[in-house]
Parts: sequence; structure tokens; C-alpha cells
Amino acid sequence: MKPGAAALLDWLDDRTGFRIIRHHLLDEPLPPGTAWFFTLGSVLLFGLGIQIVTGTALALYYAPTPDHAWDSVRFITTEVRLGSVLRGLHHWGASVVVVAAALHLARVVLFGSYRKPREVNWIIGNVLLQVILAFGLTGYLLPWDQRAYWATVVAINISKLTPGVGEWVAGFLRGGPEVGALTLTRWYALHVLVLPPVLALLVAVHLYLMRRQGISGPVRARRGPMTPFFPGQAARDLVLVLAAGVVLAVLAWKGAPALEPPADPTASGYVPRPEWYFLGLFQLLKYFPGRLEVIGALVVPGIAMTLLALLPWIDRGKSRAWRDRPLALGGFAFGLAAVATLTSLGAMDRPSTAAAGTWNLQELDGVTLIETSTQCATCHTATSAIAGPIEAGHIGRPADWLASHVVDPEVIAPGVRQPPPTNPRDTAAILAALARLRSDTAPALDPLTREAAGLIDHNCLRCHRIDGVGGDEGPDLSHVGRKYDAASIAKRVNNPLDVKPDAEMPAFAGKLTPAQIQTIGTWLAAKR
Amino acid sequence: MARSDEDRRTVLARFVTVVGGMLTAGVAGLAGVVAAPKRLTNSRIWRRAAAPDDLSGNQPLTVVVTARDEDGWYETKKQSVVFLDRDGNGYRALSATCAHLGCRVKWDETQAKFLCPCHGGVYDRQGNVLAGPPPRGLERLNVRLNPQTAQLEVEL
Repeated sequence: MKPGAAALLDWLDDRTGFRIIRHHLLDEPLPPGTAWFFTLGSVLLFGLGIQIVTGTALALYYAPTPDHAWDSVRFITTEVRLGSVLRGLHHWGASVVVVAAALHLARVVLFGSYRKPREVNWIIGNVLLQVILAFGLTGYLLPWDQRAYWATVVAINISKLTPGVGEWVAGFLRGGPEVGALTLTRWYALHVLVLPPVLALLVAVHLYLMRRQGISGPVRARRGPMTPFFPGQAARDLVLVLAAGVVLAVLAWKGAPALEPPADPTASGYVPRPEWYFLGLFQLLKYFPGRLEVIGALVVPGIAMTLLALLPWIDRGKSRAWRDRPLALGGFAFGLAAVATLTSLGAMDRPSTAAAGTWNLQELDGVTLIETSTQCATCHTATSAIAGPIEAGHIGRPADWLASHVVDPEVIAPGVRQPPPTNPRDTAAILAALARLRSDTAPALDPLTREAAGLIDHNCLRCHRIDGVGGDEGPDLSHVGRKYDAASIAKRVNNPLDVKPDAEMPAFAGKLTPAQIQTIGTWLAAKR
Repeated sequence: MARSDEDRRTVLARFVTVVGGMLTAGVAGLAGVVAAPKRLTNSRIWRRAAAPDDLSGNQPLTVVVTARDEDGWYETKKQSVVFLDRDGNGYRALSATCAHLGCRVKWDETQAKFLCPCHGGVYDRQGNVLAGPPPRGLERLNVRLNPQTAQLEVEL
């Protein structure tokens, strides 16, 4: 009689035959000389597994609608337990997948592993690369911030260049007249419902064919017995997977890049940046002006992809040694160098127009006051018979008219107004915001900025300058976060004498609540 | 007997292939019909943009035109950026959407040109391409002075 566990396994094997499957999976015979270079496919599988797990976890919290997508991603980052790391893993995991795919592909080319009889598997690998890039493209839109929105606008406009069916393709990708709600749901569905089964199926076929044809092994076949995959090669694979995992964990620990402001179709001068693995394509576009555009956008990448896919038929012959394959390897090296050059040129080309668009704290305070003030809302509503809503681009009155109107609305329409705000800082903030709203749309504010703008405008800007607005009696605080963290700023605001015995700045303890002082500290600490 | 059995199998095989193929094509076709977008263009209407006095003549005026719009199941406020300028005795309205790949161009006061931040497109004040990849100039929008409201309106 066997011990219980072994007997149970015997029973299970009798009913399912799992030992044969395990044997088939783990005891794959490998030619002698198969070593470290043949671990990259496993790293790629590991990366894809990470993406599936983290992507599923993200989907528990993500809402694919324009009014909730950005907020739900912010919620994931700030509220969900380990949410920031989760986003980091998914974001950087995509890069790990792309790098692993590129290295895996380079290994196959260098070893000539695409040669007969592996042509079909080579083609499937090429298609898999496209599927991986499609994942990157569709996932980029989902956070629905400025970067996501504009990169997608550009990507969809590129698809318009497809000869003949361009408009149709672009329309299908957009789902409606503009990039909006219908685009977001569409790309979400592609990202989480359409592409994953396509990927899984292709990976399954890729692995099946790999097993059917066996590993190609080193360039020059060596003598010696075949060795099973488990445990020797499996251990090598695992070492590389662990190394990739460590790199990923280090990258992910600080989370994904911070969310930019929510998507805003009117933002002027926003500089969209694609993810790094599309930077080469982005750079290529700049060299083909006007009607030649389609060459940079589709023809050159298309030819490169086609040549790559046709490698098994271009590079024939028997020997897989490097010196016998100058054309294939030279061409591949040239392509690799071109991609690397374009990518680094694209990475270096960063226009510096972005900063001009930011709103200063006084303007932000004014926006908040206009939005929350019951006084403005008495008359300025969408349904009001007295006055229209206060909207960007709809402010036509001259500045002096606005000034007297904000100070005393009675001047314009006696009897219908509430008493005016008496605080001159409120008035100044509202006027600053109205001036800006003539041509710019107000940015969407997160709750922290909303609260901090009011507090800092009222208590700090009298003496301190931040982003070009405020007094000059105290130091400029535009980059105060480089010097102090939130706690030490809060300490200074609470009572400067605690930190500096001869401080001239008044203490705000008692005047502001500890929570308000904390808000000021947190917001200022982010000014780096 | 053997002959008719073979015939029967041929007919059945053909049946499975043809009907199975039609079934697959039908389901794929239905999915395609659902997936194809229903509406791809917005009808344009006249929208209030600015008062004529707002145009200084020195620089084009950047205006954000806000209008009600449908975005799928949302009723949203669509905001479009338009450059208004005097043009002889009349007015000129240019779309701020770059003719290249749709980024938002910006009027640069010091260079007196429209610059696109994405791929370096440059336009003159009339919207003609001066440099960079755009295949054509900025779109000219219809603009009119509404005599009743004394406001400039653009067709968007």
C-alpha cells in the first residue's frame, strides 16, 4: 500500500493522464549547446503573464468613460492598496514585454533560427510583435489624460493615410465623429477583450510549433546527447526571469509616470509624446513633409516589417554561421541601428513650449471661486434669463467693466444681485481667472489643488511669489519642493520661529487649522 | 452500396463546410455591422465666437468656442479653438487643428506665426504652410457678423 499522497496522484493520473502532459511539457529534448541565449522567450512569457495579472487587477477598478476614466485611474493610484505599484507594474511591464520581444527576435535572427522548417513560426512571431504593439497603442489611451488623448489623436490621424481605405480605418478606430466616449470604449474593448485571446491563441500556436520542430540550437550543431528542458534549461530560464522581475520591481516601485491633467481637446501647445517604443516612428514622420507623409507613416515601416517577415526566403542556404549570411545580418544590423537612432533622436527632441500653458495659483483660486461661489451662480447659469454661464471664450466685456461688475454687481442690474464679495483677494483672483478664460479653458483641478489654491492665494501670495504671481517680501516658492518636504514646510507655516529664531514670517497656527496647514505643505512640496 | 455511402459522405462534408462557413461569415458580418461606427461627421451650425471689437488687428484672437455636442451617450460641451482675424474689411476664421496630424497649433506672438508643437508645422497669419510636414494650410472656417446680435459667428 502506497502512502496517501502518492496513491492519490496515481488515481488522478489514471483518470486524467496528467503525468504524460507533465512529461511532455517539461522533458522537451534540447540539442547540446542550448544555453542562455535560449531563455529570452521565457522572459517574454513572464512579461505577458505579468501584464495579464496586473491588467485584470486594474480592470477591477477602471471605468472606461470620459467622465470617470481619469478619476478611476487616479483612484487606483492613490486609494487602492498597492495601487500605485500595480499601475507601475502594468506600465513598466509593457516596456519589459517590448524589450524582451526585441531581444528574442534579435536572437532568432542572429542564430538564423527562422530557416526551414521554422518559417511559419517566424511569421507568427512577427504577427505577435504587432499584437504586442497594438496592446501598447490601445492601452495608452485608457488613463484619459492629456498625453493619452493627444497621442491617440495623432495615431488615428496617421491611420487616415492608409491608401484607399484610410478614412474608413480612422472612422472605425474613432467610433464617432471625434475622439471621445465612443473611442474610449472601443479601445478598451480591443485592449481587454479582443487582443488577449488573439495573443493567447498565437502564443499557443507559437509554442506548439516550437515543440513540434524542436529548438534550433547553436549555430554550429554540436555532438552530444539531447538533454531534457527540466531542470537544467528551466533553471537558466528562471534566472533570467528573476532578473527581469527585479528590474521590473525596481521600476514599478515608484509607480507609473504621474497622470497628466485630464484630456482637454482645447489645450493649445500641448506636446504629445508617444511611449518610447513608438518614438522612432514619431521621429520618422518629421522627415516626410506634405504629401510624402504616407512614406514616413506607413511605407517605410511597412517595407521594414515585410522584409523582416520575408527573412527566411531572403536568407536561404545551409550554414547558419555569421560569415555565411552577410546580407541578412547586415540588413538586420542596419535596421536595428536605424530604429535606435530614430528613437534616440525622438527622445532628445523635446520642444519647450509646454510650461507656458500652466495657470498660476491666483487664477486657479479665481476659477474655484467662480465655480463654487453662490454669488456668481445666482445669475450665471445655463438656464438663467439674466446672464449666461461663465465659460471660456465667452467673456467679451472689457477688463474695467468686469472689475466694477465683480466688485459691485448692483451697478449693472440693480435689485437682482446678492451683496458683492468684500475680500479684495477674492476679487483679484476672480478677475485674474476671467482674464485668462477669455482665450484659455481652465484646467480640471484635483481636490488638493482646489483647496491649496484658495489657502495659498489668501495666506501666502501677499509676500511670496509662486509661478510668477505674488509679493516679493519673502522668498520665491516656485521650486520650494526641491528643498523641503511636506512636513518641514508645514512646520514652517505652523510657526516659523520653531525653525528659524529670527524669522519675520507670521505664525499660522491658530489662524489656519492643522489640516489646512498640511494641505499647504503637501501642495508646495510637489513644487519641484 | 459503397458508392452511395461515399456520395452521402461527400454531400454531408459539403453541407458542413458550406453551412458552417455561412454561419461563421454571418456571425462575423453581424459583429462587423455592430462595430462599424454609425455617425462619422457632425453637422455644422453657426456658433457665437466673439465681439468684433475684441479683434485688435495686431494679432489674431484665439477664441475657444463652446457648444453643446453629442459624444456617444453623453451630451457634452464641445470646445473648439478658432483664430479670428481681420481680413481686409471682413473677417477670417482659422481652425486651430493642425492639417498634419490634428494637434492644436498655437499663435506665436514674437514670430507672428502659427506653430504646431507636435511635428514642427509652421503657418503664416493667413494659415498658409510655411514649413514642416502639413500637406495643406489651416482650415478656413466660414465666419459672419450676425446683424441681430452684433457678434461674430463661425460655422463649426
